[in-house]
Amino acid sequence: MRGCLVMLAQLIRARRATDPSPGPRPDEVNRDRGPPSPLGRGQRPNSHPLSSGRGRSQGLDHCIQRKVRDTLTACSGLTFFMVKYDIHSAQVPSCPSGVNSPGSAAVWLYVVGVALSILLPAVASARTVIDQTGRTVNVPDNPHRLVSLAPNITEIVYALGLGDELVGDTDYCDFPPQAKNKPHIGTMLNPSLERIVTLKPDLALGTPEANRRETAAQLERLGIPVYGVTASTLAGTLASIEDLGKILGRASEARSLVVEMQSRIDQVEKRIEGQPKPKVLFVVWYRPLITVGPTTFIADVIRAAGGIPIGENLKGEWPRLTLEELLPQNPGVILLPKTESFSPNTEDFQSLPGWKDLPAVKERRMFFVSETVMRPGPRLVDALEELAGVLHPTVAFKTGERR
Amino acid sequence: MTFPATPRNVLVVAVVMSLLLILTVLVSLTMGAVHLPLSEVWAALVSPGRNSEAAVIVRQIRLPRILLAILVGAALSVAGTGLQALLRNPLADPYVLGISSGAAVGAIFALWIGGRVASASPLAAFAGAVITMVWVYLLGRRGGRMASYTLILAGVITASFLSAVILFMLTLLSTRDVRGIAFWLMGDLSVTPLTELRLLAPAIILAIAGLYVFSKDLNVLLLGSEEAAHLGVNVARVELGVYILASLLTGIAVSVSGAIGYLGLLVPHLGRMLVGNDHRMLLPTAAIGGAILLVLSDTLARTVVAPSELPVGAVTAVAGAPVFIYLLRKAAG
Repeated sequence: MRGCLVMLAQLIRARRATDPSPGPRPDEVNRDRGPPSPLGRGQRPNSHPLSSGRGRSQGLDHCIQRKVRDTLTACSGLTFFMVKYDIHSAQVPSCPSGVNSPGSAAVWLYVVGVALSILLPAVASARTVIDQTGRTVNVPDNPHRLVSLAPNITEIVYALGLGDELVGDTDYCDFPPQAKNKPHIGTMLNPSLERIVTLKPDLALGTPEANRRETAAQLERLGIPVYGVTASTLAGTLASIEDLGKILGRASEARSLVVEMQSRIDQVEKRIEGQPKPKVLFVVWYRPLITVGPTTFIADVIRAAGGIPIGENLKGEWPRLTLEELLPQNPGVILLPKTESFSPNTEDFQSLPGWKDLPAVKERRMFFVSETVMRPGPRLVDALEELAGVLHPTVAFKTGERR
Repeated sequence: MTFPATPRNVLVVAVVMSLLLILTVLVSLTMGAVHLPLSEVWAALVSPGRNSEAAVIVRQIRLPRILLAILVGAALSVAGTGLQALLRNPLADPYVLGISSGAAVGAIFALWIGGRVASASPLAAFAGAVITMVWVYLLGRRGGRMASYTLILAGVITASFLSAVILFMLTLLSTRDVRGIAFWLMGDLSVTPLTELRLLAPAIILAIAGLYVFSKDLNVLLLGSEEAAHLGVNVARVELGVYILASLLTGIAVSVSGAIGYLGLLVPHLGRMLVGNDHRMLLPTAAIGGAILLVLSDTLARTVVAPSELPVGAVTAVAGAPVFIYLLRKAAG
């Protein structure tokens, strides 16, 4: 009998955690159809995690970028390693549909469930979901000890108001500033399992853009569920924020954050309407030249900011571009992320063979932009506004730093 | 210093080295990103019912890793010792015959064709190692039997060809997969679960024992294959046996932990300085000594950049080259 009650309490909790409003859930889905649009009515995020179930993802964060560079310099043979991988993305909350049918019985069950969940606080309940990377994860219903495995996830967690529930993050998590004071678990690629275990997390949050698959497997083996998010577009980033909101019991906060971000995206779109679109070269690394592939969220931000990213015809996430290919494409604007480890100045390029012949270099149309553009989190919209300001200084809000 | 390899001496050396190994393991268990005093480590080891964090860290994180280091260290060192004798070449190591490159091609190929399953990688790596072993053997045969110099050439050429294949395949992998495989290529002990150890341990121990059976013949083989044949050794059989066992040891070790460098080259030389050239003494010394060195290296890998970790191959490579140069200078002068 008690077992039945416990199960009932779990079911109801599961429901409460996934859907704060009563009534039938619109997003009961089966995996083949893919999940519902996380953006709600009408706005389907570009394609990415959804539609065909196969998507491309990429994106990296500045620290990964640093790693990539280190790898590049250490071993030039390993260079341009990018191409496809598949993401089977869907989120399937496992609530039995019976619980969802409205009616007095359901209301009654709900009341009993709430009562039970108060009476039986020790019941650890969890539900099985499929995360954005296609892994099956047992997510606790009310995770309250979170470990973040990547800086963009740390930012999302804070933006959802869950900073206090974050018990550990990576060495590279530097925003918001409080994140720096959290216990660190190491780098994204090789965190210390021991440290993570001592933090007693009930859920770890990671992303395939920053973490290794092996890390997730090891944590699962130690009994720590790992929920993964991934994004390859601006819209996909909003979707992953909303997805995390649902998993972490902050669906409404996530929703309003996403709505606000979307309205800023729409505003940028309106402002730059009808403006000529410059060709933009985004320099991930310049020796050899590595730019962003068409399926990265960075390329998407450039597009949304009213530019045409060079490399639309290239394959992979971080394609190498030879200067021969670059010259005829004649980029109108060159963007460089401003990071601690990467700060060449325009003069350097004006004497570099190949580069010095580019009109954009001669005419100093090179801009350093904040490295926020490399973090698919809440501040990606800041980066979008910054980029729009750089590409369309006459109509957009802000201007980038000119060197 | 050399001892005659009497059974008594072999036993004494093995016992002394084993005690050293146990001491190393105990020290290693107390070290890591999280500080655990010896008392807690001991409590976690002796009372299996406990489920504290300390118990999880000791039993599920550190111990499997240390056990794997012992097995892999022993396997690589014994394989290196066997191959140096077989090829009569002091520069031979477990990777000179291209077996690790073959394993890498296998592992990357598994990722390439969509190896979502984590356990597919070690199997594919082992398959790659076995295929390479057979290929190099066929290539290195001369007149129906192995000739050490053609075998080396066949191995080196195969290794460099496979390295090219690896680089090619890496360019076609996604960033995500490359990140994982890069750690493996450098040698990494962190990813093998305890359940796989149960499979590995008997295989490695059997192969080492098998090589030990040939230890007397290896001593004679060092004189040259013709001399050995005159002395009544079935050279073809011994060579084939040592080749297969050493290659299997390498293949098993590489498939779970990647190409951990220098150990298989260095430990045989250290062992010879310690106990001399008699393989009855040298093989056990190399096995236990290799285990000790790899446990130590992995302890460093876990602690020097804590809370992050280094791949152990980076540690053995950084430490191995200077040690080797030192030994070389010492031997020369």
